[in-house]
Amino acid sequence: MSEVGRKRSEYLSGPGSYMTLQNPSFKTISTLFAVFYFVFSNTATGQEFASFERSMATFDPGGRYLTQPIERFVPGLGVDGTLMYWSDYLLSGDNDIGFRDRDYRSLQMQGLFEAGIYYHFSPNVELTSINHFLYDMVYDTEDADGLYAYKVDDSFRKYNTFSRVSRELYLSYRTSKLDVVLGKQQIAWGKMDGQFIDVINSMDFRESVQLESSDYEIRRLPLWMANLTYYFDDISLNLLWIPDFEANLRPTYGAPWSSPLLPPDDANARHNDALLHDRTNAAGDTVLSTKRPDWDHLGDHQIAARLDITNGPLTWGLVYYYAWERAPVRFITGRFSDTDGDHLIITPSHERLHHFGATSDYAWVAKGVPVIGTLPIVFRAEALYTKDAHFTDYNSRAIVRAGGSGDGVSEHDTLRAALAFEFAFPSNLSVIFQPSLYYTFDWDEGLGTGFGGAYGEEWNFAPVVFVSRPVQSTRDRLKLSMTFTPILSGSNRDYQGAKTKLIASYEISSFVNGSLIYTGYSGGSDSDLYGQYNKYDNIGIELKYEF
Amino acid sequence: MNFNWFLALITQCSSFIRDTLPKCFATLRRAPAGCVLLGMIVLPTLANSEIKPPSEQTWHGVEQFTDWEKKRVDLRTDTPRNAQIPYQPAEPFPFTAPFTAEEMGYRAFNFTHMARWSHVMADAHGTITKDGYLTQGVVVIMVDQMQSPNAQSQILSEPGAPYSRMMLYYTYPPKSDGSQQMWILRRSGLEKPAKLDYFAYTPSLRRVRRQPPPRRETPLPGLAQSFDDILGVEPWELDWRLIGADTLYETVRFPGNRKNITLAEPNGKFYDTPTDSIKPMGKRYPFYQKDGGVNCFVIVTTPDRKWLPEYKVSKIVYWLDQYYFYPLRIERYDEEGKLKMIEVRTATNENRSLPDGQGYASSISIYYDVERDLIAYSLHDAHFMREWTEDDLMHFTPDFMRRRWLKYPQKSQSMVKSPEEYYLRPSLLEGRFPNDRPVSVSPAVAARIVAQDKAGHLVFDNVAARP
Repeated sequence: MSEVGRKRSEYLSGPGSYMTLQNPSFKTISTLFAVFYFVFSNTATGQEFASFERSMATFDPGGRYLTQPIERFVPGLGVDGTLMYWSDYLLSGDNDIGFRDRDYRSLQMQGLFEAGIYYHFSPNVELTSINHFLYDMVYDTEDADGLYAYKVDDSFRKYNTFSRVSRELYLSYRTSKLDVVLGKQQIAWGKMDGQFIDVINSMDFRESVQLESSDYEIRRLPLWMANLTYYFDDISLNLLWIPDFEANLRPTYGAPWSSPLLPPDDANARHNDALLHDRTNAAGDTVLSTKRPDWDHLGDHQIAARLDITNGPLTWGLVYYYAWERAPVRFITGRFSDTDGDHLIITPSHERLHHFGATSDYAWVAKGVPVIGTLPIVFRAEALYTKDAHFTDYNSRAIVRAGGSGDGVSEHDTLRAALAFEFAFPSNLSVIFQPSLYYTFDWDEGLGTGFGGAYGEEWNFAPVVFVSRPVQSTRDRLKLSMTFTPILSGSNRDYQGAKTKLIASYEISSFVNGSLIYTGYSGGSDSDLYGQYNKYDNIGIELKYEF
Repeated sequence: MNFNWFLALITQCSSFIRDTLPKCFATLRRAPAGCVLLGMIVLPTLANSEIKPPSEQTWHGVEQFTDWEKKRVDLRTDTPRNAQIPYQPAEPFPFTAPFTAEEMGYRAFNFTHMARWSHVMADAHGTITKDGYLTQGVVVIMVDQMQSPNAQSQILSEPGAPYSRMMLYYTYPPKSDGSQQMWILRRSGLEKPAKLDYFAYTPSLRRVRRQPPPRRETPLPGLAQSFDDILGVEPWELDWRLIGADTLYETVRFPGNRKNITLAEPNGKFYDTPTDSIKPMGKRYPFYQKDGGVNCFVIVTTPDRKWLPEYKVSKIVYWLDQYYFYPLRIERYDEEGKLKMIEVRTATNENRSLPDGQGYASSISIYYDVERDLIAYSLHDAHFMREWTEDDLMHFTPDFMRRRWLKYPQKSQSMVKSPEEYYLRPSLLEGRFPNDRPVSVSPAVAARIVAQDKAGHLVFDNVAARP
């Protein structure tokens, strides 16, 4: 290769990338893109594309014709909007998996419009209203027998209630030392990827194991609350008083991510109205109405406190949350017999929890690292200890079903914690290694799942690896990232499978972004956390326009 | 002897270079890839020769210094050292004439991208690719200069001690609205290389997270400039050498790309500034030459490998105005000695209460990544000097970002409206100080520079390809 050609090639693939890039897939993709870019940019079509890109760079009709004119017309009013579209398509064909009749290919085809309105009464007082309008076409376009979750809850298909559409609505009063926010809002505590002390709001888990940290913003279920923060010099104290309550939304019968382990099969579940509305279960037990916390009863309100301290390169914080369990505890409150045999009477009830948490991070620069010299590093740690979480105890339940006494539930403390090491390598290569632990105290084999505990085991260990790098030859508009999440566990199961996520996101303009996402599930058995989704590998497309 | 034939030949060559060569480029751009490759091999010399040297030599080496310049500088390299901090000069900042190259470096260090006094302002910034893909943004920056309003607080601090805090609140484009960063700047030391505590708040995550500090010399994602381009390299990390003097007539150029820039006063009132009135050192600089030039000393620095053992920069060249030592032009060369980055600035005396020109601050900075042909700009608007109250100082903590409260909503309407209005690539100043400045660019870049200089605005590939 000539000197000029070599320089050109270096220019396209980014300086130093051949030296510092350890991941062959990144290098391959980067090189392929560079070759494509070189060929494409030197053709007439390439020049037309460049012209198109120039026009796209300033293409913002929502801002030009909607938000900016409104803001000019009404002083003090701010308006913004976001249009999003996500779709995920399964890579494997139609087949029954476990109890699921999986005769569909699309896991979601969601369109979401977010409208934000902000009115400043004064520099210190602001009213905020954020509204969501969602429609998931998958239920109407797939014509699939396996997709009928809207019969359980129509919010799976569209948002058409005030509680879903009006996502956040609050009045804020701010001074330099005091923050008071009253209204419906969501709170994100913690610094870590994943949910450790981020437990204030409930969550819409419709995407099950595919829910990512980046989705929390639109999947949290906001609550009505009073949110006060007082700022001392390097210390802040945050207090929450939450009269409102929302249960988690689970991928129930007829949802694309409904677990293959959830009986009965779709042929029986689809038309069983009592089952869909939780008046019975697959065993034919009777399920009474759920006891929920009552807004009108002061003793049912939730309270939380958070203290944060910054001390040079170290920041740390402590949290406490007197909360309700998001999933109802299914107590056995009676028995009855019919022609099918003996059955239980179950009373679901949300129960109280005490959460104690801590969070910390620390930064330093390592010197003399071989090959790369200095290496900036951030260390994060986070943990949540939960007192008396409730677990369904299947041994106890079997005893009751056989005529013994008990309520089929046992209480255990749980711990979930994570450490994270974030490294800033050359060429903006970012690597995060985050080992996470989930532990159930006094665990035994008959236990189901409970808040904060391991999945079907005494402990789960997930050493998550995240790698991300922008492609410099695209002026960093193309960003490649990879997340690998294996689940190890003990003391009975060893390996519960792994999730691999590859993302190529591209900045189409300052206003429009697109992503192509591959998510694969491998390893583990059919009853394991990821193993049950071994045939759910999928490709996703996401588009977002913000104005 | 009759030299008319020689003049005619020069005229013909100039005409060829000015008129014919761009057409050749345009033809080659449309030709098959083989022709393009051939052009890339054959044209470097021709293309580089298109960049005309100034009609009169504006620069001279140390040996040709004027009498005034000789009195202004101290050419010694073994000046007394500070007894407590041996890697610093004995004479206290801001020094008195004559100045050594090192002392000039310390003075120039006073003029980092961000002014060294407490203030709030709107930073309009943008990046454009060679194809004209343009991104722009606005960030409101609050600066708390924790001690004296100059570099002295940083120079005399203990290694690792903080000397400045900055809160950055992005307001544009919409996808960045509400994104925030906090920078706590720390004085470096041999055993304490960290210069920054870096926190970020991302609205989509609603979390304040400590981030690894950016690698100092690596361009920030999506930008041409690096962290060190913004905050400067501490002068004790470098070896300094004076190589001569030069006169700069222009830094940021507006030959035909833009007639006015809308700027904002601290109170938010907007006004139009004709671009032909924008001068390198602002309107009130008292030392302009009669022809409008700014006399500069030119200094070369190289990393002291004891301090920066792995630093991926081989040298930095500064043009410092000869009176205040304001850096009007900075060139950074990569590890292989190739020109990597050119930064040019215009400055304004924003803080007239400070003596000896120390109140100058960057108005417009252009960062040109020569290798990637990427042009970035940063324009400081609505500059509002502040004495922060006790209450205001509460803003300078990481947790404050969770509030998403923009208390000082400085605005800017200075962004360009189209790629053609964008700032031009800086002049390469080829031929000046050739022993210390091996200026070379790729043929494609050279062709685009020729095209922009001829058109008076940026010219993009598809435009250049048309006859």
